[in-house]
Amino acid sequence: MNAVIDRREFLKQTALATATAAAAGGAFSLPVLGGQEGASLKWNKAPCRFCGTGCHVMVGTENGRVVAIQGDQKADVNKGLLCVKGYHVGLALYGRDRLTTPMLRKDGRLVPISWDEAINTIAIRIAASPKTFALYGSGQWTVGEGFAGNKFMKAGLGSNQIDGNPRLCMSSAVTGFLSTFGVDEPPGVYDDLDACDVAIMWGNNMAEMHPVLFSRLVDRRSRGEKVTIIDFTTRRTRTSDLADHLLLFKPHGDLAIANGVAHLLIRNNSFDRAFVEKHCNFRQLGAKPDEKTPPDMLGVPMTFEEYARAVEPYTPEKVEELSGVPADKIRMLGEMFGRRDLKINSLWCMGMNQHTRGTAINCLVHGIHLLSGHFGKPGDAATSLTGQPSACGTVREVGTLCHLLPGGRLVANAEHRKEAEELWNVPEGRIAAKPGYHTIEMFKRFNTPTDQGGDITTLWVQVTNPSQTLPNLQRNFLEKKSLGDKFLIVSDVYPTATTELADLILPSAMWVEKNGMYGNSERRTQHWFKLVEPPGEARDDCWQLIAVSHKLLEMGVDGMKGRDGKWIFHTAEKSGREVPIWNWAHYYDVNVDERLFEEYRPFTTKKHKNLAPYQEYVKARGLRWPVVQQPDGSWRETRWRFSEFDDPFVAKGREFQFYHSVSKDDKALIWFRPHEFPPEMPDKDYPFWLCTGRVLEHWHSGSMTRRIPQLHRAVPRAYVEMNREDADRLGIRNSEVVTVKSRRGQIDLPVWIGGRGDPKSGEVFVPFFDETRLINLVTLDEYDPYSRQPDYKKCAVTIVRKG
Amino acid sequence: MAGEPRPSRRDFLRGRLGRAGAEPHPRPEAPAAPSSGSHGAAAPGALGGALPASPSPDRQVGPRRQVTLPVHRPPGAVHEAAFLAGCTRCNDCITVCPVDAIVLAPARFRHAAGTPMIDPYTSPCRMCTDIPCIAACKPGVLRSDQPLKMGVAYIERAACLAYAGSFCTVCSEQCPVPGAIELLSARPHIRPDICTGCGVCAYVCPAPSNAIVVMPLADRAGAPSNAGPELT
Ligand code: SF4
Repeated sequence: MNAVIDRREFLKQTALATATAAAAGGAFSLPVLGGQEGASLKWNKAPCRFCGTGCHVMVGTENGRVVAIQGDQKADVNKGLLCVKGYHVGLALYGRDRLTTPMLRKDGRLVPISWDEAINTIAIRIAASPKTFALYGSGQWTVGEGFAGNKFMKAGLGSNQIDGNPRLCMSSAVTGFLSTFGVDEPPGVYDDLDACDVAIMWGNNMAEMHPVLFSRLVDRRSRGEKVTIIDFTTRRTRTSDLADHLLLFKPHGDLAIANGVAHLLIRNNSFDRAFVEKHCNFRQLGAKPDEKTPPDMLGVPMTFEEYARAVEPYTPEKVEELSGVPADKIRMLGEMFGRRDLKINSLWCMGMNQHTRGTAINCLVHGIHLLSGHFGKPGDAATSLTGQPSACGTVREVGTLCHLLPGGRLVANAEHRKEAEELWNVPEGRIAAKPGYHTIEMFKRFNTPTDQGGDITTLWVQVTNPSQTLPNLQRNFLEKKSLGDKFLIVSDVYPTATTELADLILPSAMWVEKNGMYGNSERRTQHWFKLVEPPGEARDDCWQLIAVSHKLLEMGVDGMKGRDGKWIFHTAEKSGREVPIWNWAHYYDVNVDERLFEEYRPFTTKKHKNLAPYQEYVKARGLRWPVVQQPDGSWRETRWRFSEFDDPFVAKGREFQFYHSVSKDDKALIWFRPHEFPPEMPDKDYPFWLCTGRVLEHWHSGSMTRRIPQLHRAVPRAYVEMNREDADRLGIRNSEVVTVKSRRGQIDLPVWIGGRGDPKSGEVFVPFFDETRLINLVTLDEYDPYSRQPDYKKCAVTIVRKG
Repeated sequence: MAGEPRPSRRDFLRGRLGRAGAEPHPRPEAPAAPSSGSHGAAAPGALGGALPASPSPDRQVGPRRQVTLPVHRPPGAVHEAAFLAGCTRCNDCITVCPVDAIVLAPARFRHAAGTPMIDPYTSPCRMCTDIPCIAACKPGVLRSDQPLKMGVAYIERAACLAYAGSFCTVCSEQCPVPGAIELLSARPHIRPDICTGCGVCAYVCPAPSNAIVVMPLADRAGAPSNAGPELT
């Protein structure tokens, strides 16, 4: 084609694309590529493998391979649009170094072994010492995998030593919801993005981390709608470029800002008195936790007057001093919250969760929404966004954390244990009453010699990469190398920093190589079918757990049998004939995923997180729970929880009802939590704040996205973003390699000045996707006392020029 | 990014794109077979210079030149006729290029086959500050007094993620020429007067179908260093 024609053609296409965009309300997808629509190309739905947004993709397969990806027009979440990662998600399967055979470390070298030997090895380790065995899972576990893992540990081995990586990313959101509403997960949904007048990003770089949701928001502008975006952040990001108000704050200043809004709502008498009187109580912390007093999330009641006095000191001027945000901007925010005619949607992700006062800031943001009545109407919501595709669906809902049981139950609650034992059909008393170790504790104990209190000796890691993503890596994991009696099992799809430490590597099937279900940030449970075979001998993570369980049953290990004397994963055909699902050749004779899901469903009703039957999800592009059957037999999803107009569990005439209320009176709690300074702050020796995070093109530790050439070329390696003033002062040039050093460790990185993000003076930012430059050698492992979630966003470092 | 000192910016790019230095480990591998969203056959304008040249009024190409295939030459190249006449195919520019951006034109370029060129989709020119290829060119067909412009890049908006409503800023971030790609409302715009056609944007574009078309300059201005034969 001639160059000019080419150019004209694309101008024409541009005009067309613009027209389509307008017609479809901004929702359109790029052309399908890579595959040719033909008889042999088949399209099936699946949620995207990567982030918690939970977009749906159409997966084109041909001759047993994924050959094309398209945004799913039928999906509510993304209406056909994907982000750059999503368009390439199919390539995540086809990196050349996929793990295809089990490998065992023998004399320091990894040698291929058979699956039989691998399963046997694990079973022998567990049988020898079941109480020092731990399972570390993931928000990328499917619902079925998480459920099987949880059952295997808690109802099988009678051990609560199971935790998951959402501890590192979501647990402060959980404690925030629990403290406020008495039940986890957001009351609102993504529809709030379409209806709000003001969207507030609380330390949330949505343009990069939840790009399709941010598109959904800013697209409204191209349709002539007005939506004001307020970007509260510690560094300028791509989100800031599209924000109406960029409000840069000092790390930890968010606590002061939220209290400042509460102060203004009360001082201006612009809070929603009727809503507060009818639907809210006030709380504050009780005794300060210390060695003897464990952190107590219930707190103590306070009156409205006490609350008003508590927020009294947070005048706009005081907030300016604490947060660095100008007092008039705090007033602007206070006025916005004071207006009933505006719909306000607060959004956050790791900025508020990876925070040593994560529970506090989550509670405070819920608090100002409740105080001002910006709650429970389309557009009025405070919503946390998840990083992983099934942090909600699997870990939070199925309860694969050391203190949880499925459906929002607690390990420490005798009644909850009893219910779980009944539903699982295991003998009473099987489930241990004491919670296991949370993530940091679990790894610390694995990383400590056994005779010095390191009472986790065998650790099985599935679908996650802790040797890259744990904070303060040396202390929390890397010592393992020198501890001969510790045994690390890693199930993964590619070699990672974690497989490097492994004693046994199990090759896993991923994404559409297996059946699965995920649950995204807006309570949407999503389903997909296996579409292609995994490579080599790679097998489902869920099968791996089941096979080990069966091996333990054969070895006569206590706990692998239920009340009826049958194996805990006993699966039978309609005729009653047992299906040997522990044998890979028969694993897909039945739909194990469906069986596990149907076993899980009855757990979900207790906390009104009702799920529909499996087959409903097969038909849908996800359904948001609670999903309740209608008189005509259909299943209806719920968008706004606790609001009478939409939530079927709210009694008629109540308008709002917090039916899992902590105070047991159907009211939500507005918490007072003071501003506090973080545990480590810059000083003369370590003068910079370090913040870590993701970039648009890479997903988490990069083990998938760094193998996709287009994404790798776009952002090939990690860097340290620096403010120009700081760089000039230190004589540092763009691209110069410097050492980023903390009290815990150091790494070398090239400097990027005026790059994608621009930190304030005195701050630096480093992305964590790059396996060759582990910023988590530098980060701090201090955590929130309630959620036990570490703070990856704030620690003190110094920048040292080399040579 | 206007105002960014050129040298450091280029160094940075070389650091990020160059082959020297630490390689990611394990190296990301290309997929074994074409898959969705890959470049490959679907990528538009896979090689600007290979486009069949038909007369184009816009470019005012004279009738005698209609057989000329525009070749994506390294920076500082003289008029094409002079280039062909003067280039001794010594390969010095290829040897000296630190990022292996310069390759030999394949046979389909007929009379230009075997002369140095750049395929931006495989390995773009990184706009080195010291321009070693020019320094190495003994016959003087790459000259420091010539413009460094090799061509010009266009964004095919229908394929660009940013224009499709999905955020992407990679080309503007990786472009080694300050001001050549601007972000307006989070969408990239190429300034053809500033763009040198180095092809870095085409190389890094992560869109499912590469959204960048790099056109080599069909008519390089600048007099031949010594009169070469008229091209027919
Ligand atoms: S926004 Fe998240 S879920 Fe959607 S395409 Fe991108 S990575 Fe996938």
